[in-house]
Amino acid sequence: MGLGKTLAVRGLTLIAVLFCVLLLTVAVIGATGVSDRILNAMLNERLRGIRQVLSTQITDPDELNRAIEAIEDDLIHSYGLDQPWYVRMPSMLARIIILDLGNARTIQTFTGSRLVSDIILERLPNTILIMITVLIINFLVGLIIGVKSATRPGSLLDRFISIYSSISYAIPTWWLGLLMILVFSFYFRLFPFGGMFSAPPPTELIPRLLDLIWHAAMPIITLVIALSGSWIYITRSVVITTAQEDFVTVARAKGLSERLVMWRYIIRVAAPPILTNLMLGLAAYLGGAILTETVFSWPGMGLLYYHAIVSIDEALILALTYIFTLIYVISRFLLEVFYVILDPRVRYG
Amino acid sequence: MSLFLREALREFWRGSLSKLGVIFLSIVIIVSFYTTTTMPLDYGTRFWSNPVFWVNNPKAAPPEWVNTFVSPKLLEHKVLSTSLPASVDAVEGSILKRYSVSYKLGVEQFPQFFNLEVSNLTYHEAPPTLILSILKPDGYSIDLYTFIVERPFENESIPFIRYTLEPKRVLLSGEVQVARALSNFISARYGELLSPSQIIDIGYEQIIFGERSALKSFTPLKGTYTLTLTLASRNPNDNIGSCRFILGGQVYGLMGTDLLGRDLFSGLLFGFPVALLIGFATSVITTALGAGLGIMSGYIGGRIDDLIQRFSDIVNNFPQLPLLIFLTFIFGGKLWVIVLVLVAFGWPGLTIIVRSMVLSVKGAPFVESALAVGASRLRIMGRHIFPQVAPFILSQLIFYTPSAILSEAALSFLGLGDPTIPTWGQILEYGFRNGAVYLGYWWWILPPGLLIIYSAITFVFIAMGLEPVVNPRLRRWR
Repeated sequence: MGLGKTLAVRGLTLIAVLFCVLLLTVAVIGATGVSDRILNAMLNERLRGIRQVLSTQITDPDELNRAIEAIEDDLIHSYGLDQPWYVRMPSMLARIIILDLGNARTIQTFTGSRLVSDIILERLPNTILIMITVLIINFLVGLIIGVKSATRPGSLLDRFISIYSSISYAIPTWWLGLLMILVFSFYFRLFPFGGMFSAPPPTELIPRLLDLIWHAAMPIITLVIALSGSWIYITRSVVITTAQEDFVTVARAKGLSERLVMWRYIIRVAAPPILTNLMLGLAAYLGGAILTETVFSWPGMGLLYYHAIVSIDEALILALTYIFTLIYVISRFLLEVFYVILDPRVRYG
Repeated sequence: MSLFLREALREFWRGSLSKLGVIFLSIVIIVSFYTTTTMPLDYGTRFWSNPVFWVNNPKAAPPEWVNTFVSPKLLEHKVLSTSLPASVDAVEGSILKRYSVSYKLGVEQFPQFFNLEVSNLTYHEAPPTLILSILKPDGYSIDLYTFIVERPFENESIPFIRYTLEPKRVLLSGEVQVARALSNFISARYGELLSPSQIIDIGYEQIIFGERSALKSFTPLKGTYTLTLTLASRNPNDNIGSCRFILGGQVYGLMGTDLLGRDLFSGLLFGFPVALLIGFATSVITTALGAGLGIMSGYIGGRIDDLIQRFSDIVNNFPQLPLLIFLTFIFGGKLWVIVLVLVAFGWPGLTIIVRSMVLSVKGAPFVESALAVGASRLRIMGRHIFPQVAPFILSQLIFYTPSAILSEAALSFLGLGDPTIPTWGQILEYGFRNGAVYLGYWWWILPPGLLIIYSAITFVFIAMGLEPVVNPRLRRWR
């Protein structure tokens, strides 16, 4: 398979994933009657607006009611509320894709908009910021420490890594966050309890940036500690397995320097499977981000999830599930591209 | 026992992590067994989520053993009960039965509150009167509270029994009558006139268990108090089944309490079998489904293989947590919903790996020979192929258990747990929502999290111990 074809196949799978998730959510909300509730809420919101406008033009209350009833019938038809849920599945699907889901129940944007799409777009960058930072730090930490412990299996560092990775696998990210707040915010007063900026936020660029870093430090450290363990361990296992291959023995027999053997013969070969594992771990990053944001009141989409659950906001949860799947699919695809660049078997195959 | 199994067990037992894992697991199992045999199965609905049950406990109190580390010592919670009268007197035609207990105040602290509970009171004629009084160490006595038992209903037959299902609860801090009694006491003892509202400002417990140091300030009076509940009635057969005097402390029990006064120790204990159930139910169903589909897909091949592979490839790439949140939110957080949702997204990873393993043994001579003697497909899959992949499946079963426990805890933490069953995740969620981390209630935050880690790491250790058994390549490196 050539490069383009490989990417196309992977891309299609990911699009299928996105589509299946959307289909699943639409079917679930349709069958349980949630979509009726969402559409009805949107309808009532529109009607209220129309009533306000009309009441300035039509003074006779009977006539006003008749006019509004006519409009309501039209709207019910246009929203598809007069049809069973499976008939309006395609339109509901389209609605989710463009985030046309009406207003959130209680949550607002900074500027006061209650539209689901506005709220999500406002929070999106904050989540991406945390996720990318953590991904980069973890990638480096995992590679450096994983390779180091693989070169000396059985050493003190190596044994420490096995224990650390099993603890880090078993530790709930969000609980680690609670622990960090308890220790560093409550007892030592070193870091803020949560949020993204101090109140009031600094206005100049440099202090503002420092304030942001100060607030972001704890969520990022929490995620790195919680997620790096298994990642280091996998890197170590892959490197150890590769180091037992015959061509590595041959390279050593040729008298090549250990450094050269390590980087050119072991790590270069181990890179694609390591990347594969990074891809498989991506879902854990998303999950970790949702929970960590909640713990640290980081105003991203994870915290939004929590608020949506607490305020029983179905439209918002639907939108968030879609957006998280979208982020996941896009970042998976980016990693696939990276994989193709790294693995020559795919490139020239 | 076959040679292979013995060899595998020896290899497993060689690792120190696997030994630790087995020890941890036996502790989890013993505690779960103890909990399920001693606690009722409807503990969650009957006690845990029933605030009335916890009304006599101090709120957000740290565990008792913190007294080993802090100075000055914090006051311990005390529940004193009695069911036999200490003395019986007859005065002017009425019988006075006195039920009393003594309470020793040993630290410089006031009790947080003072409650009284009376249960199974029996009377035969007129409704009796109950009088709560206290004798202080300095010899002064106060009649704090008086009440008359409810009259008989129409057509009720003698004897009249009261407070059988629910005890009569008197929360003294909520009774205005006590303020008047204390106002009288202060004017008699110190010659000061304080209005009931001033008494409320000072606090009942301060006056009852204190000594005046300035006009309106009291210091704790150490010593032994006698608390007495007097039953005044006409009939000598009238009696009280049992009465309890509750003196609220600042520390409580082994693990402290939460904001509702719930004993965290019992909640944490109940979490053991629940975690074990969630972990095992989810991982067993998931592995059975995943392995079954994997063996089918690998051995049968053809269109079924294509279908299963496409499907598992897609489901395997679902972002888990968002969908878990979505589905449990829509279907409601019931335990079985959570387990089913976890199964629904857990199986494909195993299916893909098992399929590739089956492909490699499919063409082996022993399979072909079985086929040659006419074994059915089902028999070949069950008797010849399954044993080849069984060790791997077992290790996956154990490896998946902690992730089920962790996922349930995460869902609970987001407020999607099963409200009828207390779990560690829910205890943490309630703590987080009520600001336990910001107030430094460490006893509420640390133990549930540590238990989640403990139960998860148990299975991680066992799975890591199994790894060299399943994957002999790693064996050399130890």
